[in-house]
Amino acid sequence: MKNISSALLILLLFIIFSSCETDVSNDITLAKSPLRLVIDGGLERNTVTPLSKQQIRLTTTTNFLSTTDQPFVNDAQVTISNGIDSWRFIHTNNGFYENSEIIPEIGKTYTITILWNGETYQGTDTLVQEAPKFDKFYYKYEEETTFSDAGYYIKFDTTDPPNIQNFYLYKLFKNGEFVIVPDPGNSDVLVVSDKFFDGKKRIGVYPNEDIFFKIGDIATAQQVSISETYYEYLKELFIQTGNVGTPIIGNPPPASIRGNLINLDNHTNRALGYFYAVDIEENTVTITEN
Amino acid sequence: MKKQFIYLFCILCYLATHGQEKFTVNGYVKDNRSGEKLLGVNIIVDNTYGTTTNDYGFYSIRLSKGTHQFEISYLGYKVIHKEIFVNSNTKTDFNLNEELAELDEIMISSNKPQKNIKSTEMSVVSLKGETIKKLPAILGEPDILKSLQLLPGVSSINEASSGFNVRGGSVDQNLILLDEATIYNASHLFGFFSVFNSDAIKNAKLYKGGIPSIYGGRLSSVLDIKQREGNVKKFGGNLGVGLISAKALIEGPILKGDKEEANGSYMLAGRRSYIDLFTFLTEDFKNSSLFFYDFNLKANYDINKNNRLFLSGYFGRDKFELEKLLGTIWGNTSASLRWTSVLNDKLFLQTSAIYSNYDYTLDNLRTGSEFRWKSNITSYNIKPRLSWYINNNNTLKTGIDVTYYNFKPGKISPLKGSSINAEKFSNKFGLENGVYADLKQNITNKLSVQYGLRWSNFSRLGKEEIRIYKTGKPLTYIPELDIYKENKVTETVTYKSQERIKTFNGIEPRASIRYLLNDNNSLKISYNKMYQYLHLISNTSSPTPLDVWSPSGRYLSPQYADQLALGYFTSFKEGKYDLNVETYYKKLEDVTDFIDGADLLFTEEIETQVAQGKGRAYGLEVQLNKNEGKFTGWLSYTLAKSETKVLGINNNAYYPSNTDQLHELNLVGFYKLNKRWDFGFNFIFGSGRPVTYPTGKYRQNGLVVGDYNNRNGNRLPVYHRLDLSATLNPKKGKRGKWIFSIVNAYNRKNAASIYFNEIGEINDVEIATGKTKATKLSFFGIVPSISYEFKF
Repeated sequence: MKNISSALLILLLFIIFSSCETDVSNDITLAKSPLRLVIDGGLERNTVTPLSKQQIRLTTTTNFLSTTDQPFVNDAQVTISNGIDSWRFIHTNNGFYENSEIIPEIGKTYTITILWNGETYQGTDTLVQEAPKFDKFYYKYEEETTFSDAGYYIKFDTTDPPNIQNFYLYKLFKNGEFVIVPDPGNSDVLVVSDKFFDGKKRIGVYPNEDIFFKIGDIATAQQVSISETYYEYLKELFIQTGNVGTPIIGNPPPASIRGNLINLDNHTNRALGYFYAVDIEENTVTITEN
Repeated sequence: MKKQFIYLFCILCYLATHGQEKFTVNGYVKDNRSGEKLLGVNIIVDNTYGTTTNDYGFYSIRLSKGTHQFEISYLGYKVIHKEIFVNSNTKTDFNLNEELAELDEIMISSNKPQKNIKSTEMSVVSLKGETIKKLPAILGEPDILKSLQLLPGVSSINEASSGFNVRGGSVDQNLILLDEATIYNASHLFGFFSVFNSDAIKNAKLYKGGIPSIYGGRLSSVLDIKQREGNVKKFGGNLGVGLISAKALIEGPILKGDKEEANGSYMLAGRRSYIDLFTFLTEDFKNSSLFFYDFNLKANYDINKNNRLFLSGYFGRDKFELEKLLGTIWGNTSASLRWTSVLNDKLFLQTSAIYSNYDYTLDNLRTGSEFRWKSNITSYNIKPRLSWYINNNNTLKTGIDVTYYNFKPGKISPLKGSSINAEKFSNKFGLENGVYADLKQNITNKLSVQYGLRWSNFSRLGKEEIRIYKTGKPLTYIPELDIYKENKVTETVTYKSQERIKTFNGIEPRASIRYLLNDNNSLKISYNKMYQYLHLISNTSSPTPLDVWSPSGRYLSPQYADQLALGYFTSFKEGKYDLNVETYYKKLEDVTDFIDGADLLFTEEIETQVAQGKGRAYGLEVQLNKNEGKFTGWLSYTLAKSETKVLGINNNAYYPSNTDQLHELNLVGFYKLNKRWDFGFNFIFGSGRPVTYPTGKYRQNGLVVGDYNNRNGNRLPVYHRLDLSATLNPKKGKRGKWIFSIVNAYNRKNAASIYFNEIGEINDVEIATGKTKATKLSFFGIVPSISYEFKF
């Protein structure tokens, strides 16, 4: 399901009969710029399917229109600490760093320290609170509409804990693989704050309005409890990755999205990405004919 | 301060009493056909003294006893020469005949450019409703805001952005007045069209600089639009049908009886777009709606010879709904009641009471989380103004301007029993006062000045709860992370109803000087300082209907600007051509910009989302007009730069504003082939507007994300476009008129934006692909249209 901006865009294109989009990738030369360190990943507490190891990935940036793989970083020293204990994360392959001993705990604040290229980067996140359970987890066949395809959509009911601030991220997996669409709607659907439904039971929530399933697919959805700063980071991330160029709505001037890593040696050489610590509620269902 | 006023007053008294025995000649200048009063008409006496009619068509001039030669001229009307013998205070009205009404005459001539050269005004452009209608228009819908963009120094970010930009200023820095009422959002259909129905417009005047002290409240410009008053002689009207909308206008006298001319008249116009009637054609939009409509009303009545009442109003709405996704409705409402009174032969008093409102609702129609969001801004304004025609060399205008604002930033209510909690953001109140004096003075035959002072004052009033932040400020900039951090709220202070929360004062000097080199050449210089207490906060590149107006207060300072402009005005070939050259420098302080990642919709603590910075804009504007002959038109060129600097944006350095455009060239022409055919064209050429290209990409949460370094560091391709129009006027005795137009005649795909994103589908299935692309978005190719107008 597309969101507001794409809907507006389509309609406007319809009004102004001959408006169009042209792929100009080949006409544009982007200026070269220095490579930045990027972190993708964090600590996940999952009591439904406990994880055997925790992992993060380190890469560098590359030219936006480049078609080659993201260059990864294999020579960094990575440590995560909770203020008392610390754990070394070891590079395995493709930029992935892993540790199988750390067990993330609710209420703890974790700090990652990365030493790379002679500079030290540090970032912190707090595993604020447990993710509420799904009250009901199901799927429903939906006919094609203007903005969505026909197929089985995952839905759930859940109750927000009253009188505390909660921030949620929703993740959907198809046959074990994480799936996401770079859609403008993500910033309204994949991350939500309980600002307007504190303490309420929510019914029929879609973890993702764009992804549908076929019979035989195995669908897994996660309700992830995240910190406020991670929520704000993701909100901005989803707004920018959903940019469809229309100046009518949802077209912020693009800007570098600031993560939570600080370069302790040279703060203008910023790192990108967010090191997170989250708690996950999860459920899985196999789509069958009802 | 006080001293200066007393001093000024003494000068005025001296001026007022000084001089030999003189008499006042005053009255109204009217259109002979409709009896409507004409504003801005030139009245030249004995080839020396000159004046113009005011906004109500009234003029007043002091003359010595004897015979005087009057020359009355006005664009599009035949010049009147009249000899008048003066031996007492005299009331004389003039009736002008439209030139076009004379079918034998093919030539179009506008008034001689004398006015431009002799007036102290500079950086002012005016357009008449008739000119607007002759220009080629998108989908045949003539539009004042689009027409203004053909003049130097006026532009817009792209075809679908609300409003317009003046000399690099942002959209919210324009004061848009419709019969004195503030219009808070001037766009229909997300900016493709403006809220102004060209049929109902009599005249529009845009001040880009040298803004007189009678206006205040916005930094960059004043657009003063006057609606037509209606025919005082007979009932009539017109109907129009175009591709996008249908419209109707009726006008006529009020209580005419057997008289030739009634004491009053009315005009009522309405328009509705009907593009939505075709949505059934596509399955996709069967259950969607999209339309706008608006109504304009004006009525006036002469209570007696010296007192007139005016009532005018506007109501417009846009509605847009997509089934199960969203619905939105927005629009302006305004009403103004004016009373003008000729107190004596020298004093003219006008008093207006004005109501303006802008509101929008946004319905989230997603299953399970349906809610309605409502937001509005309402203002009540009273402004009495006294004009004192002291003598032929001195005119004083003075008055006060009081506006009370009520902001309702937002209210959420659940729809269809969804689990959304109802919530209401607290209302905000403000009181804006202005006191001004403006003196127009002819010092010598060659030197004229117009200067004035405006004192403005804004108070944020209770009842409101104000948050107090830990460090005293809502945001702290952290250089290590290059971000703003929101500070903790330590307490809230409750202010009682009408209690002052915060007060600001602004002293706004304004001045313009004209030096006449000779009859055909003049030099002008002007300066103005402007304060703006309201901010339109938008987190998109160009404004949308859902942007929020916010008043200055504890955490948001007023914006202010200084502008200096210099100009050279000349005419040649006996006034057949005239040329204006102006250059300006503008400095802006405390302009608002949102911080990176700001979330403005549904955010109550707006102060935590915006930062204030500074701006500068400078440029050169040239306009060459051809005023006479079968072929008329203008060529305009603008060379300009506009930059902004805000802590936390673009590494804290100046960056090009969204409105920045180095070169812009407009060529506009009208050709009258014969009695029936009129042709028009415009050609626009502009250098590319700023755009931000990514400097890198990376992956995060399964998506490809762009990294950016310099805000607005790149440029879109150059913009150029040719539009054509042809008008087939009715044969003698017939009343129908056909207008054909082709916008973007050679089908250039101009870039409205270029954006970079991840390819989001494979084989029609939506999914993140990891592949990236750059896409150019163009709004329209060639757009032919046809419309029909019928006068009765």
